[in-house]
Amino acid sequence: MTAASWVPPGAQTSFTGQYVMTAIGAVLVVLLFFAPELVNPGLLFIIGMTLIQSVFALSWNLLFGSTGLASFGHAGFYAIGAYFTGAALRYGFQLPFVMTLLIGGALGALAAYIIGVVALKRLTGIFLAVLTVALTEAMGKIIGFTPALGEQDGLGNIPRPIINLGFAMIDLTNSNDFYRFLLVACLLVTAGLWWVVHSRLGRTFRAIREDADRARFIGIDVARYRVISFMISGGTAALAGALSAPWTRIVTLDQVNWLASTQPMLNSLLGGFTNFWGPVVGSVVFTSINYWTRSYPGLSEMLVGGVLVVIILVAPTGVLGILGKIRARLKKGDRG
Amino acid sequence: MTNQIIFVLFNGLASGMAFFLVAAGLTWVFGILKILNLAHGAFFMIGAYLAYTIGGASPASIWSFIGVALISALVIGLMGLVTDKLVLGRLRNVDYHYVLIATFGLMLFCEGVAKAIWGSDYFSVMPPPEVDTAVKIGASYISLYTILVIAIGLVTFVVLELVMNRLWAGKIMRAVANDPWMAGTIGINVPLVLMLSVVASFALAGFAGGILVPNQTLSVHVGSAFILYAFLAVVIGGLGSIRGTFIACILLGLVESANATFLPQYGGIAVYVVLAIFLVSRPQGLFPPQGVS
Repeated sequence: MTAASWVPPGAQTSFTGQYVMTAIGAVLVVLLFFAPELVNPGLLFIIGMTLIQSVFALSWNLLFGSTGLASFGHAGFYAIGAYFTGAALRYGFQLPFVMTLLIGGALGALAAYIIGVVALKRLTGIFLAVLTVALTEAMGKIIGFTPALGEQDGLGNIPRPIINLGFAMIDLTNSNDFYRFLLVACLLVTAGLWWVVHSRLGRTFRAIREDADRARFIGIDVARYRVISFMISGGTAALAGALSAPWTRIVTLDQVNWLASTQPMLNSLLGGFTNFWGPVVGSVVFTSINYWTRSYPGLSEMLVGGVLVVIILVAPTGVLGILGKIRARLKKGDRG
Repeated sequence: MTNQIIFVLFNGLASGMAFFLVAAGLTWVFGILKILNLAHGAFFMIGAYLAYTIGGASPASIWSFIGVALISALVIGLMGLVTDKLVLGRLRNVDYHYVLIATFGLMLFCEGVAKAIWGSDYFSVMPPPEVDTAVKIGASYISLYTILVIAIGLVTFVVLELVMNRLWAGKIMRAVANDPWMAGTIGINVPLVLMLSVVASFALAGFAGGILVPNQTLSVHVGSAFILYAFLAVVIGGLGSIRGTFIACILLGLVESANATFLPQYGGIAVYVVLAIFLVSRPQGLFPPQGVS
């Protein structure tokens, strides 16, 4: 079970396949855009959370799937963004909302930079895993002692923002309007990540993941690019958190522990970490399992845990990997 | 002040021993199979639930209490056998990321099963009647159950050390840990040794669950506090070293207890400071694994 070498999305499919995929994607985006008219508010909330979770999982997978580093404390970055935005909106910082989001993301990237410079050169594998877990737990404790951040109770009653463009005001206090803003923001972040993964930078990350020594021989500054990928990943996770605060309207300590950190891993692996869209598929699958099993206690953990174990044993490339295998087999069947 | 120090020492030792009871199995499997079993805490939790189900909410005596813990050790050990056959055994020689993920999936699965069987209600278990009092040491009262936990932790450590360093079984295990291929060529049944290590590690988790369940709120998350410290101790101790883990557990227990007594407003922070210092200054741990290089 070697690490499957990375295949750019769409490389295996023919041109028509690519068009079909793009068409499906476009239809999905349109459906998502009109979701407030199509579904009830409860389901809309879940769809919004799935969007945020998708971005969160994509940020984790940029680190794992591209650069080959596993962070077990990604919830820490998410919480940085969520708490910053939550506090900014609740205490009415004189900041434009988009600026607040960007600062939240930048704070996440800054935290990632500090961790990266201090630890990433010395620590990989299990040690990095334990350090990131410990830092997230410590951050949770510190937030628990800070009255301005709501201590054990979390920050509640977070108001939704009104964006002032100078010539026009965009009022996002209505949940349907904020949902559309969220959708656009998530699409933009996803497009940004897609660009990173498919750019020269992304190829450098993959070179490091495949073989750090060889990457070093051909002149790649491995430590520096690891820190860069850590920063992009941490910044994006913080951005996902920043988007979540006005959507859920409460930020709690439940989002700052190691179990919360496992959510993006779970989603990435469920969907398949070798494919760019894997984390998104995983988030959707995970949310659906949770939604349909919500009245049976324990069933969702059993299903998700069981599926994860089976995936690792049978197809470590996740749901999309299994689909790919099935497709390959079908094609073979056509020829033979 | 002296009273406070005695209090800190006893509480620290007791938490340290509690961490060690959980960490022992974890570090054992890490030393021999080189896998960090994230599901360890989940099996600890099932062990605690089993002890509650078999022994009831108030154990009749100290011996029945320990007996019940041994029964849960046996049952969890058997679960370890099944888990090894179904999952862990198929993941030998696989990239550690996959093993981490698989054991994480296992952890979720176990939590789901526990929720389905025992529900989401909280339970509590009394310490056995003989130790459900406190003794006066100096001017502070120390619960006898605390002393029982310290004693059981010490006995577990001594037994494990003896097995690992003085018995044939331990020497075989160390040989396998050091170089499985070489151990195989001289006629050691390596797969069997690996399987028995997993069983022993799980049994230790079950035993810890039975011993530590009193004074805890028994829920699906009963293991999460212990297991986190156990992970930290395994890393500080030098991955796979029982002695290192033991010392690291005591250290973490003392730091945590001093923190809670002297700086209660910032409880739980000092442990992470200690961990960060260790990771940056001594990433190989207190007793790094010695191999032929």
